[in-house]
Amino acid sequence: MTEQQRPTDPQPASGRHEEAGRLGGGARTDVFEVFRQEKDGDPMRHAGNVVAPDVELATHYAREMYSRRQESVRLWVVPRSQVTDLSDPDLLQPPLDRSFKKPGGYVMRDKLEQARQRAKDEKDGQGTS
Amino acid sequence: MTDPLALAPVLAPDERPTPVFADPDLTPDERYAAFVEHVHAGLKVEARDWMPDEYRTSVLRFVEMHANSELMGVLPEREWIMRAPTLKRKLALTAKVQDEVGHAQLLYRVAEDLGKPREQMFADLLDGKTKFHNVFHYPTKSWGDVGIIAWLVDAAAIVAQQALRESSYGPYSRTMKKICWEESVHIMHGRDVVVTMMNGSQKQRDMVQEALDRWWGPLMQMHGPRSDPAKDRDLYWRIKEKSSEQLRQEFLSTYVPRLWEIGLFPPDPELRLDEETGEWRYSEPDWQELRTVVTNNGPMSQERLEFRRLNYEQTAWVRQTILAAPAAAA
Amino acid sequence: MTGPARRPTRQLLAPDVPDFDRRQLPPNVRDALAGLLLAMADDEFVIGFWDSEWTGIAPLLEEDVAFSSLAQDEIGHARAWYEMLAVLAGETADRLAFGREPAQYRHARLLDHPRTDWAFSIARRWLYDTADSVRLGALARSAFEPLAEVVAKVRREERYHLMHVDVWLRRLAAHAGEPRQRLERALEVLAPDALTVFTPLPGEWLLVESGVMSETNEQLAERWRAEVGGLLEELGLPALPADRPPAGGRNGHADSESFSWLWGEFTAVHRLEEGVTW
Repeated sequence: MTEQQRPTDPQPASGRHEEAGRLGGGARTDVFEVFRQEKDGDPMRHAGNVVAPDVELATHYAREMYSRRQESVRLWVVPRSQVTDLSDPDLLQPPLDRSFKKPGGYVMRDKLEQARQRAKDEKDGQGTS
Repeated sequence: MTDPLALAPVLAPDERPTPVFADPDLTPDERYAAFVEHVHAGLKVEARDWMPDEYRTSVLRFVEMHANSELMGVLPEREWIMRAPTLKRKLALTAKVQDEVGHAQLLYRVAEDLGKPREQMFADLLDGKTKFHNVFHYPTKSWGDVGIIAWLVDAAAIVAQQALRESSYGPYSRTMKKICWEESVHIMHGRDVVVTMMNGSQKQRDMVQEALDRWWGPLMQMHGPRSDPAKDRDLYWRIKEKSSEQLRQEFLSTYVPRLWEIGLFPPDPELRLDEETGEWRYSEPDWQELRTVVTNNGPMSQERLEFRRLNYEQTAWVRQTILAAPAAAA
Repeated sequence: MTGPARRPTRQLLAPDVPDFDRRQLPPNVRDALAGLLLAMADDEFVIGFWDSEWTGIAPLLEEDVAFSSLAQDEIGHARAWYEMLAVLAGETADRLAFGREPAQYRHARLLDHPRTDWAFSIARRWLYDTADSVRLGALARSAFEPLAEVVAKVRREERYHLMHVDVWLRRLAAHAGEPRQRLERALEVLAPDALTVFTPLPGEWLLVESGVMSETNEQLAERWRAEVGGLLEELGLPALPADRPPAGGRNGHADSESFSWLWGEFTAVHRLEEGVTW
């Protein structure tokens, strides 16, 4: 591909602040992403992609590539251009502490032991009187 | 050290730096070093990431050859789909070959997302500019070949493919997991065909041994000559994880005992396990033959490429009309 | 090794076919049914072979995988019909499929044609799948339950075939120029043989009388013509020939050069040695 043929971005890529964009490189306009569900109750997971002139044939091909062994109970077929990609680390992995949002931020083993011991001592104290 | 930004990229990447190199203050050398560190730490590279030119071209070349091999690998077995002698074998063989086509699709997609359209890859394959694995340049002469290929060629391939599941290039590593899962069924089918024949008539047993006699040489050449790991760039970039010799040893240690135990004997008098070192010893494979074959001078190379070319031309009208991608939206 | 040898149950060989006893049917109905099953099995077997030739060389990789599935499904259906026939005939499915001379095959002449080109394969598949669909419809509520059971499963698989081939037929017809021209040429060549799927079978009136089949082949041909006529008209394609299905439509395959070649291929290994297991 020559310089002239590069797909034009809405803004030039500028480190971490560029817009979410297309998946992968290349200039194919006929790629469809396929998501599959392995069994009832499972989430949809990205499985791969197929090339097709339109969504009708893409659906047939998705069935072949991702369920010809009866390995899926559901498929989603989405034109690649319809998928918005977000991978900006500032948005997804901001650097300051966020442990207050996670279970691991609430380790209270020592405190609990202290509280239990105190309660036990109190109870024992009452018992002897 | 190469300054990757000084080179015009071979393929125009969709430049989206990963967090590691996101800092616009990094110099090109620092960015390159951070990338190497990322890959050596066992982390993945995705299609959208910035990558050094050498990495991109190395991955593309590796994946493209793999894709080509799946596509060309269809041909030796395809003619036997028509000759499968039972309903069950016909179903199994058609399904197996279908899987190979499916693998070609998966791999060409990975390569396409690195920027090279499949039409260009097909053209380069047919022009002899890119290669495919040695084993697919040989004729299949009997039903015995069908069993030996499905079992041993697929086994040798899966030994390599299992190691590739850890490839640094994310899309390739994930694709390899799907491929390995599908290939395991092929090996079982192949072994079933071989064992059934070994339990059959003398004529059937002779057919299998004769096929093994012809295929052993190419099989031993398949993983390539021993290379110096320090000089192997595909190892450096963690595109692949194991050396040629490691793969060959793995193949031998699993499959030679399985051949011997059913009375099949690879035609190599030197073949044995060295108890002291735990390594298999074998006659030096014919590396000249390998070089000759992969440069498209094998017994079936030209015929198969010509067959592909002919069929591709005959179906061009479909691609140019009904299968053509719609014009990109304004 | 001691102990009784394990007899492979039909469950392992063809789990889709329910167990039944040939004596469930009166002998004359049984013979007529055997004729029907042979016709259906040979149809599916032969088209499965022709279409599997596209494996590896179809116009697009994704389409290659899809078309190969259609071929495999047909072989799977053939297997089911041969398995049922095996019970009636006291034979094995493989011997039935691989063990006859070309003249003894009973597939429709429509299926003697080689795959030729993509438009031809699509056209022939469309003609066959739509005809087969009508035929299966006549067996869906068969008084012979094991047959109805298998037909129900086959019909569910055939839904995808009909969808896929319909998509292709419409696109070929709608695209002026080479696609349309090739389609028209293909249909021209295939038209004389189109109705052979409905060649009357010996004793078929017994099948209708006993409720095994709901209509005769001639009636099914009419039904088919009506069903596909609408689409052909919509697409501006010539209507199917108005003749009755030819009496010899399932015979004479030894005279077909393409089928003789195909037979040579699919029996090649089988003929190497009698009585061995592959």
